[in-house]
Amino acid sequence: MVLDIDLVGTISTYLGLPPELVRAVLAPLIYPGLGVFTVIVLFLIWAERKIAAKVQLRVGPYYVSKRLHGALQMLADGIRVAFQEVIIPLEAEKPAYILAPILSFAALTVAFAVVPGGPGIYGFSSSMSLLIVYAAISVSPILIILMGWSSSNKFSYIGAGRETLVTIAGEVTLLASLLSVAMMYKSLDILEIVEIQRQTDIIGLVANPLAALLFFIAALLLTDRIPFDLVLGEQEIVQGPFTEYTGVLYALTLALDYGKLYVLMLLFTSLFLGGWAPFDSVILGVVAVLAKTILLLLLAVFLRSVYARMRIDQVASVFWGRLFPLALLSFIISALVAPLYG
Amino acid sequence: MSSSTLPGMEVRELGTRQGLRLIELNIGAQHPASGHMRMIVYLDGDVIVDVDPDIGYVHRTMEKLAETREYVRVISTIERMTIIDACNVTLPYVEAVEKLLGIEPPPRAKYLRTILCEINRISSHLYGLGLGGIFLNHSTMYMWAFGDREVFLHLANMLTGARLTHTYAIMGGVRRDLPQGFRDAFEKAKRYMTRRLKEYDKIFFNNPVVRGRLENIGVLPRRDAILLGASGPNLRASGVEYDARMTKYAAYEELDFKPVVGEAGDALERIWVRLREIEYSLELIDRALKQLPEGLFFNEKYVKMAPPAVKHWIEKGRVRLPGTYIRLKTKPGEIITRAEMGHGEITYHLVSDGGIKPYRLRIVTPSARNLILFKELPKGHLLMDFPAIYGSLDYFPPEADR
Repeated sequence: MVLDIDLVGTISTYLGLPPELVRAVLAPLIYPGLGVFTVIVLFLIWAERKIAAKVQLRVGPYYVSKRLHGALQMLADGIRVAFQEVIIPLEAEKPAYILAPILSFAALTVAFAVVPGGPGIYGFSSSMSLLIVYAAISVSPILIILMGWSSSNKFSYIGAGRETLVTIAGEVTLLASLLSVAMMYKSLDILEIVEIQRQTDIIGLVANPLAALLFFIAALLLTDRIPFDLVLGEQEIVQGPFTEYTGVLYALTLALDYGKLYVLMLLFTSLFLGGWAPFDSVILGVVAVLAKTILLLLLAVFLRSVYARMRIDQVASVFWGRLFPLALLSFIISALVAPLYG
Repeated sequence: MSSSTLPGMEVRELGTRQGLRLIELNIGAQHPASGHMRMIVYLDGDVIVDVDPDIGYVHRTMEKLAETREYVRVISTIERMTIIDACNVTLPYVEAVEKLLGIEPPPRAKYLRTILCEINRISSHLYGLGLGGIFLNHSTMYMWAFGDREVFLHLANMLTGARLTHTYAIMGGVRRDLPQGFRDAFEKAKRYMTRRLKEYDKIFFNNPVVRGRLENIGVLPRRDAILLGASGPNLRASGVEYDARMTKYAAYEELDFKPVVGEAGDALERIWVRLREIEYSLELIDRALKQLPEGLFFNEKYVKMAPPAVKHWIEKGRVRLPGTYIRLKTKPGEIITRAEMGHGEITYHLVSDGGIKPYRLRIVTPSARNLILFKELPKGHLLMDFPAIYGSLDYFPPEADR
């Protein structure tokens, strides 16, 4: 059965535009970009709350759309936030305060253009696409620190300080994990990495489970998931760098963490789970990628019902003292398993 | 804003304090984890140098109100101080008035009071544990503890007819007799709670992340605990074997009470003492139910006072008191009574001039005594440890503010 559809080709002939351009616009905007991301993030927050509710003997979101078990609650919240007044504190550094969340989210969409969402579904291919994703992700901490600074609030400021610590600790581990992956596959191109896994039938998770684990833990830290939600730290610093944000800007800061998580888990799917591995066709491939990504996302948000928040010095010592040496070990594993991939 | 000052963050520096440049951080009164109070935290980098608790946001003039009401009506006022622990907070007051009236409650009433006190203690500890969980952002512990607290609120409801403000112990006895089916309901609750306590240990107490947050945090040495006048589980966690229940009020003498004592004095030990006290309270209620003496649950003197039309209520296990009961006159005198609440020891100093209202009622609540720990314990810890210490102290602002 052939389920392949050539959407890009159809649109490009219809509009008379080069297919590369259509591709580069469609990927960040629709899939794997903002359109699908919005749906997934609404589902994810609902699932997060429902799973936590199940563990905690509660019902969870319920009253908005009772038949769907409250699935539209997040949409209602989103609409509410969208119409909320954006309050800018008098002391805030106005341009930076407004631009920082917008820019950080915009930087994230660059990552959407490179991460593949299925066979042949990507914004543009590059031999450096892994590094481009990493670069796009690592822009946001700078802007988060800017948010904390420009808010002119002590809680925001402390949150920005924590973001610095978290970023340095987390990105070293993430980068080490990514590089050991690149070493293993001898490639920095995500599309090529997926192809290598499909050809050899060995997924990265089997070949180098340590790198996968480190990637996952570092992703949790960089996206403020419990037990590493230091930057948000509600009980100490209210919402960290985002304390003063309201309305659409607050929604952007909230979506930023989920966006990063989504991109990193898509990347995890491609690097360690073989992307669209068992399938060749577009539709089944997309379903496979989405299913794997959503499973990973659910695992990431499930931890909230088990763990408390770790202390800041413990996080630093875990990442530098335990995970970073392990990352060095994962280089050795990569060197050993590299011949598997030819 | 002039161009010379830096935009964005404007830190209010206090100059030098103990040779350090400090940031003054107001945690509260509007903060997700401040409670009804404000804590002014002085930070040197991320290290707490000093904490200045600013209380009084929920002060309700309990002591003054007590002077304006008759003895019986004071009970329902002061139990609002610690609404989660209503029997424990009123019992010493009731006992004080009883002593001034020169009456003694019948033994059955003493046992029933003890049973409700222990039920209250369990729900109070669960409340504290839940908040201790959410202060570490452990939402499961929060929800579980609050959910399981419902079981004990239900038991209290069975016994007294009210979930929180029971006004159960009144001068001369208790308002209601033990209802039918209470023993079975308690058996069920005990089995459930014993099972749940094991699950608490798994998800919270032995959780490596939680242990990392609480171990060696806010250590209160034995000597300091005594010097600072800490009270309740916070005192016992430091290895001091003192519990006001050892003074043998109500039925604790016959129940062979022994306090739960910890050793380390850190935040984890305080949580541990609370968990073990829940276990022990279940056992105490079990013992009290087994030893429960037969007989009247209200002093005979007042039962006789009741008009014939309402006497049949007593047979149904409830008291309906005559209007004159509200105008009880005590002998002039002073008396001090104490009891162990969930949060610690509460002391009442009742002065009577022989009227129908207290002349003066001085209340020292456990949270008011534990407040000083906010100032002493967090020093030298990180800002992140502050909620952990707060959560482990089981501080209840309305109680401290009175």
